[in-house]
Amino acid sequence: MAERADPVLPVRTGLRRAEAASAAQAGWPRLPVLRRMAAMPLRDPFAFTGLLIYLLFVLVALFADQLAPLDPLEILFTKAGKLAANVPPGLDFPLGTTNLGRDIYAQLVHGTRSALAVGLSAAIIVAIVGTVVGLVAGYFGGMVDAVLMRIADMALSLPFLPFVIVLTGFLGASTSNIVFAVALLLWPNSARVIRSQVLTLRERAYVEAARVTGASSWRILFVHIAPNILPLSFVYAAIAIGWAIITEASVSFLGFGDSESVSWGYMLQDAFSSQALSRGQYAWFVPPGVCIILVVVAGFFISRGYEEVFMPRLRGR
Amino acid sequence: MILEVDGLKIHYSTRAGAVRAVDGASFAVPQGRIVGLVGESGCGKTTAVRAIMGVLAENGRRAGGRVVFKGQAIDEATTRKLLWRDIAYVPQSAMSSLDPVYTVGAQLVEVLTKRGNASRSAARARAAELFDLVGLSESRLADYPHQFSGGMRQRAAIAMALALKPSLLLADEPVTALDVIVQRQILDMLRTLQQRLRLSMVLVTHDISVVAYLCDDVVVMYAGQVIESGPVREVLARPRHPYTMGLRNAFPDLMSDALELVPIGGSPPDLSDPPPGCRFAPRCPFVLAACTTSAALMAGGGKQAHASACLRDDEALSLRKAAMDPATWQRSSNFAMS
Amino acid sequence: MKLVLERFTHNALALLAVTTILFFMFRLMPGTPLAAFINENLNADQQQAMLEQFGLDRPMWQQYFIYLGNLLRGEFGLSFFQRRPVLTILLEVLPNSLILTLASLIIAYIFGVLAGAWLAWKRGSWIERVAVPAVLATRAAPEFWIGMVLLALLSFNAGWFPSGGASSPGVAYANDWQRIASWDYLHHLALPVLTLALYLQGLPLLLMRSNMLEVMHEEFVTMARMKGFSEWRIVINHAARNALLPVVTAFALGVGLSMGGNVVIETVFSWPGIGRLLVQAVSVHDYPLAQGAFLMIALVLALMNFVADLLYMVLDPRVSHGRKG
Repeated sequence: MAERADPVLPVRTGLRRAEAASAAQAGWPRLPVLRRMAAMPLRDPFAFTGLLIYLLFVLVALFADQLAPLDPLEILFTKAGKLAANVPPGLDFPLGTTNLGRDIYAQLVHGTRSALAVGLSAAIIVAIVGTVVGLVAGYFGGMVDAVLMRIADMALSLPFLPFVIVLTGFLGASTSNIVFAVALLLWPNSARVIRSQVLTLRERAYVEAARVTGASSWRILFVHIAPNILPLSFVYAAIAIGWAIITEASVSFLGFGDSESVSWGYMLQDAFSSQALSRGQYAWFVPPGVCIILVVVAGFFISRGYEEVFMPRLRGR
Repeated sequence: MILEVDGLKIHYSTRAGAVRAVDGASFAVPQGRIVGLVGESGCGKTTAVRAIMGVLAENGRRAGGRVVFKGQAIDEATTRKLLWRDIAYVPQSAMSSLDPVYTVGAQLVEVLTKRGNASRSAARARAAELFDLVGLSESRLADYPHQFSGGMRQRAAIAMALALKPSLLLADEPVTALDVIVQRQILDMLRTLQQRLRLSMVLVTHDISVVAYLCDDVVVMYAGQVIESGPVREVLARPRHPYTMGLRNAFPDLMSDALELVPIGGSPPDLSDPPPGCRFAPRCPFVLAACTTSAALMAGGGKQAHASACLRDDEALSLRKAAMDPATWQRSSNFAMS
Repeated sequence: MKLVLERFTHNALALLAVTTILFFMFRLMPGTPLAAFINENLNADQQQAMLEQFGLDRPMWQQYFIYLGNLLRGEFGLSFFQRRPVLTILLEVLPNSLILTLASLIIAYIFGVLAGAWLAWKRGSWIERVAVPAVLATRAAPEFWIGMVLLALLSFNAGWFPSGGASSPGVAYANDWQRIASWDYLHHLALPVLTLALYLQGLPLLLMRSNMLEVMHEEFVTMARMKGFSEWRIVINHAARNALLPVVTAFALGVGLSMGGNVVIETVFSWPGIGRLLVQAVSVHDYPLAQGAFLMIALVLALMNFVADLLYMVLDPRVSHGRKG
């Protein structure tokens, strides 16, 4: 019964209303679902904003070298030959420099890459694992279902951040370890909800019809059932992006992050341990946080949009 | 007349435009009588009754007409004093109409103390009395709504409605959700209570047999309007509106020979854009050209004992004969489909 | 009753699974198999004691059961760097974490419930359109970042609050209760609690709002209107009472989840709690302490999950009073 990760959205996904929405879908809803998913941002201004934000960050990540030519880890010196430490924001350095003379702006821009890499890989893994497990457990039921759900329960009873810390602390601090740990702990929620939905869909008329006409289980599963729960996969994928980024930031902040790459979490840890707080160097530690907020909120908006596709609310709620 | 509804209009504003759920309905409830309000789903009967209680959805509003109770015109603002004390409501599904986290007894006491000025102990005694009145055991007062069976819940809902001794009871499909045997019990109980307590009642239902069994008068609604009204025996034996004639055919009578069940072809009009003229015209086997352009008023302006809103009201006798033949409806069914 | 037993077993098994995972994880650490409990920091006697207590020379499966037995008795081993029993160290700092968690959650939930109900009432207004994304933003921000900003603003800049720790240096107390109730402690507690509460309020707020919106459309609320009750009575006695059920359960779950998540807050504010202990232990590879801290957090999580199940059963009459028909 424990809700892992972000309960803001899954909690609202009441199964009662899922029933009602499924009842509203009859026949072969494959294409309309995909079309609705593609059209969703056009109807939901918040989701649209979210997509814009994502797009913005993707562009920044792609053109990081052009947008911030300075190397984020390069130690810089003033014209007079002194270390360019803690330079306040100005024309040369839009956000100033760190106490070791590194360009904060460059770090912020290049940090986008790390954030997106972590977020997207975690999201993809969570989406795939969660969806496949949910489909298989829900459709085949029985022993398979029981085993998969027990594994999901075990994953849910692990304290999230402590586990990630222990894992990266002992396996080594690399981005892939973090992504792995995050994905490991986030897939159960989506698997559970998808499984519930599959249980409902299993009884639908068109599934019965397909079975009667001799379609194989796998065909039914992937051709008839899967497209209908696709919006749910996207809901959880969008949430996972945000959670992965925040977790990576938290883990980096605690000192277990990847010290090779510059991430927003790394920036925050650096700022904290170099007493940026007492020096009031807001330009150092506020922007990374704001960027994280933007990306995660974008994820929330998008996932709410897909939740609407999946379960159209009766009258704008 | 304890209640008079005159040209009531209830409109809902939706994204697709205004839906005219009730569009000029008029009927009257004589003191001490049971009036059945009958029609198919979506005809506006529930909306009309809930509007009398002053309870409408967020996007609904009264767009016209008057409601007169005991000689006083009432609307949403003025109804509040009367609510439950003089006009009470029996819902269709008693399960969802009771708060699941309080015992039924507690909810009865709440109404009695907060709306009825009774002391807690007096309220508890009266609650027991009410349960007794509807045939429920007093020990059940301590139970939660979900612990009641369907029929018992309906009895509890009736007890709740009678708590403050109202003079008018609005019952919205009170027996629809119950099985036939329990239906009969509840209807009998309603009749007994009505006589003992000298209540006036409006019974909303889509089931003509319920109307035939319990009601004194009947008001037939279609597509937001009243199209026939009168004493029950009279209207059912000698209907004057084609829709009523069709309705009668749609319900089997257990006593007579097995007649064919003849449905009325087609479906009710879209209430966001109703057709001009008579709304039943598209499905009516007796339609004339005039029917589609001008709507008929209730013959006699609704004050006559038995009135109907049909242009061909004076031919009622011959129409009735034709209506008894299934072939008539077959033709109009094909016509309505095209 | 059967349900209670079932939930208890479920949560106990979950905890067992966590313990097992932990057991094997630490065995797979780089180093000798003994590395989980023995380290050159401990003196020879201590090392020998650990060897015997945890049966480190026995086969793996035997070690597992010995390990479980030890855990049940509260034997978590000796901390490599403090050279003291792990459990003692954990119990010293546990109250700090509990107080931080409970204080923050209580404040967050009281605020969230009231604000959520109010927002539900303000349906359709511009306030709602602005407030909901704003609340989402509080959920989107990393907790420790909120802490950092507040620290910079209210502590370093304004000097209103101390910058870390749970007590000022040089202050002594007669006993633990006095220490916790002292003004100094509360002064140190303020910023961490404020940060956490800010972060946590989003959930009860949105949850309560969502529930209220749903409940207000229920038939029994309409019926309450038809009975002529005042809007106040309808909203509080009927709507809110129903809408609160999931929120209470969420609170219990929140305690469990928060214990784990507080790791970062405790680090930002140098708050001496279990989370900070875990981080320190992992950094220096103090395996027994790390294991102990992790298990303690997992225990609280499992316990609160069980409490949440119980609360749900007790508060919802549909569950606590079965059908009679």
